[in-house]
Amino acid sequence: MNTLILSGRKWMDKLIASLYVLPAFTVYFIFILLPILNTLRYSFFNWTGFSPPTFRGLGNYQELLQDPIFLKAFMNNLRFIVYYTAFPIVLALVLTALLARKNLKGRNVFRAAFFLPYIMPMVVVGVVWRWIYNPVFGLLNGTLRAIGLGALTRPWLGDFSLAQPAVGVIAIWAQFGFCLALFMAGVQKIDEALYDAAKVDGASEFDQLIYVTIPGIRDELLVALVSTLIAALRAFDLVFVTTRGGPGNETMVTTLYLFQNAFQLNRMGYASAIAVIQTLFILAISYAMLRFLSSRQ
Amino acid sequence: MKNLLRLITLLVVMTLVLSAVGCQGRETSTPATEASTGAPAEAENITLLVWDQAARPEDSAIMDAIVARYQAAHPNVTVIREAKTLDDLKSTLPLAMSSPEGPCISMINQGQSDMGAMVAAGLLRPLDEYAELYGWYDHISPGLVALNSWTDDGSQMGEGHFYGIPTHAEIVGVYYRKDIFAQYGLTVPQTYAEFEAVMETLQQNGVTPITYGGLDGWPALHLYSEIQNAQLAERSWYDDFMFLRGNVTFDTPANLEAARLLQEWVQKGYLTEGFEGIGYDDSWQMFSAGEGAMMLTGNWLSADLLAGPNGANLGFFLVPPLEAGGYKLNVGGAGAGYGISAQCPYPDEAADYINYLFSEETAEALLAAGSLPVYPVDTSNLEDGLLKDIVAAWNFANQHDAVGYYFDWVTPTMYDTSTAALQELMANQITPEEFVDKINADYVRFLNSR
Repeated sequence: MNTLILSGRKWMDKLIASLYVLPAFTVYFIFILLPILNTLRYSFFNWTGFSPPTFRGLGNYQELLQDPIFLKAFMNNLRFIVYYTAFPIVLALVLTALLARKNLKGRNVFRAAFFLPYIMPMVVVGVVWRWIYNPVFGLLNGTLRAIGLGALTRPWLGDFSLAQPAVGVIAIWAQFGFCLALFMAGVQKIDEALYDAAKVDGASEFDQLIYVTIPGIRDELLVALVSTLIAALRAFDLVFVTTRGGPGNETMVTTLYLFQNAFQLNRMGYASAIAVIQTLFILAISYAMLRFLSSRQ
Repeated sequence: MKNLLRLITLLVVMTLVLSAVGCQGRETSTPATEASTGAPAEAENITLLVWDQAARPEDSAIMDAIVARYQAAHPNVTVIREAKTLDDLKSTLPLAMSSPEGPCISMINQGQSDMGAMVAAGLLRPLDEYAELYGWYDHISPGLVALNSWTDDGSQMGEGHFYGIPTHAEIVGVYYRKDIFAQYGLTVPQTYAEFEAVMETLQQNGVTPITYGGLDGWPALHLYSEIQNAQLAERSWYDDFMFLRGNVTFDTPANLEAARLLQEWVQKGYLTEGFEGIGYDDSWQMFSAGEGAMMLTGNWLSADLLAGPNGANLGFFLVPPLEAGGYKLNVGGAGAGYGISAQCPYPDEAADYINYLFSEETAEALLAAGSLPVYPVDTSNLEDGLLKDIVAAWNFANQHDAVGYYFDWVTPTMYDTSTAALQELMANQITPEEFVDKINADYVRFLNSR
C-alpha cells in the first residue's frame, strides 16, 4: 500500500517535470524538428514549393547520385576542408605556441587582431576580398605590379585553376582566429610545471608543442575540428558572395546548389534530397570524429 | 493535493498555449471578393502592397515620385512599395504571393520558372479584360504581349491569358565614348565586320575595346547573344527556339560560329584584361571612370553612366547586322511586367494603378529620369545625347519587330547551364562545339521532359 502511493507520487513528479519541459519542447518541435521531418518527407516528392507535391519515391536521390554538378559540388566541399579546417588549425597551433609565451609584448593586441576576422560577417568578408582580388584595381594585383611582379597578376576569382584556392584563402583568414581563441583558452589551463619539466629534459620549442601543448588542449582541438569541418561542409555565404559557384562550376558547393534548386529552379523536393544527404554526411563525419578522438583518451 | 492543483493549472495553461499556436497555423481566410464586383465605395481606404525591382536609389526615387502623383489623384489608395533585387524577387515572390498578406501587385519575371510556374500554381490573375478596358495593346507590340502570356497550366508561353504589363523597356547595345572614337577617326559601325574593325583599331592603339567583367556569369549571355544575333538574318529560328515549338535545336551553324567568334574576341584582346575576375558592377564603374572605349550591355545603366565623369561623351548604338541595312534581332524586350496576385482583394484598383504606370505621363517621367519606357515616346523633342540614342535604338527595334530574347530563361536550368558554359568557353576550357553541345543537351532534355 505504502509503496503504491510512493510510486504514484513519483509518477506524478515525473509528469510534472516533463510538463515544465513541454513549452520549450513545443517551440523546438515546431521550429526545428518539424521542418527537419518535413524536409525528409519532401525529399521523396516532386514539388515546386507552391504547387501540390507528387510522390517520386527515391527518384530525387537516384537523380542526385548521377548529377555531375552535385557530385562536383560535393567534391569541392571535401576540398574546402583543407582550407576551412586543416590550414586554420595548423596556423592557429603555430600562433598559439608563439603567443603563449608569457613574456611576449602586446600579446592581447595580437589575440584580438587575429580574432577579428572571425567576428566579421562572412558577407562583409567576401565583399572586401572581392575588391582585394579585383584584377584591375584590386590590392593584390596592385601590390604585385608595384613590386615588379606584374607577370604574376591573375583574375583570381575567375581563373579556373585558382578560383578555389582564392576562395580557400579567404576561408583560412576568416576561420583561424576562432581556432586560435579556442587554443589560447586551452593553453592557459596547462600546468606551467609541465613546460618546466620538459625544458629540464631538454625539449625544444617544437617538442614542447607536440608533447605538452597539443595533448593539453585535446578537447579544444576536438571542438575546433568538428566546428570547422561542419563549416567546410556547409560553406555557402562566402562562395555566394565571391563567385556564385563559378567560373564554370569550379567553386560550386552543395549548399549553393541546394539554394539554386530550391529558390531559383523551384525544385524543392530535389533540394530537400540534397539537404538530407548533406545532413547525414555531416552527422556521420562528426560522429566518427568524436568517436575517434574520445577513444584515444 | 497541492501537486494535483499545480498539475491542473499547468494543463490548462498548456492547452491555451497550444491551441493559440494551432489557430495561427490553421487560419483559413477567404479573401474578400466583393471588391471585384461593382464600383468600389468612394470612402473605402485601401492599401496596395507593390513589389518592384527599383532597388537602386535613383530608380527608387523615380518610382516614389510616380506613386506620390498617383496617390494625390486617388486619396483613398495607399501604395506601399517594396523594392527587391531580381534574385530576391525570384526566390521569395511565389511564396509571398501564396499568402493573402503578400503583395497585391508585383513585377513578375518572365519565363517558365517564374511567371510560368506561378500561373500553373494559380497565383496570378489574368489581365486580358483590363488590357481591353484600358487599351494597353495599342502601345505594346504583340511580341512583348506573347512573352507575358501563358496557357492556364503554365506549360506554353505565347498563348492563353496575359499576366503582366511591362513598363520598362530593355535593349542591349553598345555604349561608346564619342571622344575616343573621334580621336582614332572611328564612326558608328554599320556592319558586323565594321564593328570588329573598330575593336581591332582600338586594341592596336592600346585602348581596351570593350570593358567587360565576367565574374558574375550572366554578362556573358549578353555578349554571346549579340554576336549570335548578328549571325541571324531573320527571327524565325529564335522564336521557334524560345517558344519550345520542338522543330529546332541549338545545334546550328550560326550558334557555333557565334561561340567561335566569342573565343576569338577573347584571344584578340577585345575585352578587359582579367575580365574573368571582375564583377559586373565593378566593370561598369570602370567604364564610367574612363576605362575602355565601349561597353556592351543594357540601357539600364544609362542613368548611372550619364551621372559619371564621361556621361556627356557617351553614345549608344545597336550591334550592327552582318550586312548594312540588314535585319538583326537585339537582346532586350521588356522588363518584368506588373501582374496582379490572385489573392489581391482589390483587383480593379490594382489594375487602375498599373494603368497609371503604363501611361504617357509615367513614360515621360521615366524617360526624364533616364529610364527607357515601353510606352512609345517621341524622340523629336529630345536633346542630342545618350538618352536620345537609346530611345531611338528602342524605337527602331520595336518598329522593325527586332526585339529579341534573353535565352537563359528558355529552360529552368538554362541560366545556370549557360553562364557556366560561357565561362568555360571564354576561358578556353571547352571548344565552341562542346559549348553548343552543352546548351543543346540542356535544351533537348527539357523539350523531352515536357
